[in-house]
Amino acid sequence: MQRRGHHMRGSRLAGSCVKTYMRRRCSSLALYSALLLVAGLLPCVASARAEGTPIPHGTLELVAENQWIVAGHTIQLGLHFQLEKGWHIYWVNPGDSGEPPRVKWQLPAGVSVGDIEWPTPRRLGTSTIVDFGYEDDVMLLVPMHAEASVATQGLGQVGAEVKVLVCREMCIPGKAQLSLTLPVKSQPPVPDARNADLFAAARMAVPRPAPSSWRISVTDAKDSFLLFGNLGRHVAQVEFFPVAESQIKDAAPQEFIVMAGGFRLTLRKSDQLLKPIERLKGVLVVAGDRGYLIDVPVSKAMAAQRDVGDGINPADSLKEVTQK
Amino acid sequence: MKRSTLYRMLIVVVLCAAPLLIAAAKVGDAAPEFTATASTGKTVRLADYRGKYVVLEWHNNGCPYVGKHYNSGNMQRLQKQWTGQGVVWFTVLSSAPGKQGYVTASEENSYLTKMQAAPTAALLDPTGEIGHLYDAKTSPQMVVINPQGVVIYSGAIDDKPTTDLQDVQGATNYVSLALEQAMTGKPVQTPATRPYGCSVKYAN
Repeated sequence: MQRRGHHMRGSRLAGSCVKTYMRRRCSSLALYSALLLVAGLLPCVASARAEGTPIPHGTLELVAENQWIVAGHTIQLGLHFQLEKGWHIYWVNPGDSGEPPRVKWQLPAGVSVGDIEWPTPRRLGTSTIVDFGYEDDVMLLVPMHAEASVATQGLGQVGAEVKVLVCREMCIPGKAQLSLTLPVKSQPPVPDARNADLFAAARMAVPRPAPSSWRISVTDAKDSFLLFGNLGRHVAQVEFFPVAESQIKDAAPQEFIVMAGGFRLTLRKSDQLLKPIERLKGVLVVAGDRGYLIDVPVSKAMAAQRDVGDGINPADSLKEVTQK
Repeated sequence: MKRSTLYRMLIVVVLCAAPLLIAAAKVGDAAPEFTATASTGKTVRLADYRGKYVVLEWHNNGCPYVGKHYNSGNMQRLQKQWTGQGVVWFTVLSSAPGKQGYVTASEENSYLTKMQAAPTAALLDPTGEIGHLYDAKTSPQMVVINPQGVVIYSGAIDDKPTTDLQDVQGATNYVSLALEQAMTGKPVQTPATRPYGCSVKYAN
């Protein structure tokens, strides 16, 4: 079963290389065709991931971390986007414009999927309009759970209809119907070696929960939120991405000030934010490190200085702030 | 003495210039005045329309989100419905020359005819001046100004931030809601939303 899977994948790969070659040949002089044959095959050999369903200015592929669906277990699926240089897709909060990819799943009976685990995004855009998203190569992780009672004989077909907006200077909506057929077994999961690197990289890109030693607090200060962080170490730069739309001005520079053991980040409030918010949730990217998930109650400017409980108060080492 | 006067002058300059540079109009603010050239060649001054409701619609004919509302006929329907009730409707084109959605006056006039669009006027804003005054982020971002010249709505056209034509039906239209509520003396319940769509193609 498994061997056949490998074989089929190999032949599909070869097929896509030939197509690539044919396309190139059509637009080139016959003189170069022999050269192109070699050149066209090289990238296919170099990158084993040349296949995928076309989307505007890129490809999309549905992959699984394991070789089969396991009754009573959760396995990881991945939506692997590969984009042409300069083109991007969007994070769950797309920022000032755009929209995130949306997926409709078609799943075997007894199988369900969880929420997408979004990798840490990047700021994309100009001075007045800033979006949050991904360029080049990105994989969205999706946990897929099979009930213990799921039939463990035969194959399970997983389908995903993905709508995605791909943008550069302009935006092009795309749609892809993906499918993946996996055996359903009761045996413990065995990783699919072909996808190991992809999933390892995707896990690294997903923000981790903030370490419990961190002291993070957020103060509502009229036009801004002041995000204080005491990480117990020097931090050269941080960037914050709010999970919810319309909380902060996405395009506004995030003013960063180094403080003992941490920092203060000023986040301008969005014009669309008309009511106070109770919590600020998002991804904090620490320079030279990675993204961390934070979910912090928002306190009023005055109250924050008195309140010492809950680990949300600017910690002692942030005296410069508390003395103000 | 001389120095302190200089400082005072500096402070005044900074205080006056700062709002002009950064503070774009938001809900509850006085709508910034502008003078623009319409695709018909006519000069349009916002101030001349005090006493009427004014809708601003940011437009880019290559944007799929704009396409959703024009290809479904939704935008034209709204334009006809509201201008029929005395509302002034300005389609604003803030794409810079060379960027997606930039059109000449005659190209815009052909587009309006072809699409059977019915705004009061299409305003050419290739410098992005009006766009920046209203902090327009996307097409189709929508702004509603009341007869007193106050911004009462700014944001998305509706609550379905997609490019799917099917999503027009059943969507809650925020522009119509704001106009209906304001015209019947009610407070606008949803005065600000995230303006979904394509980024406005400013010159930078």
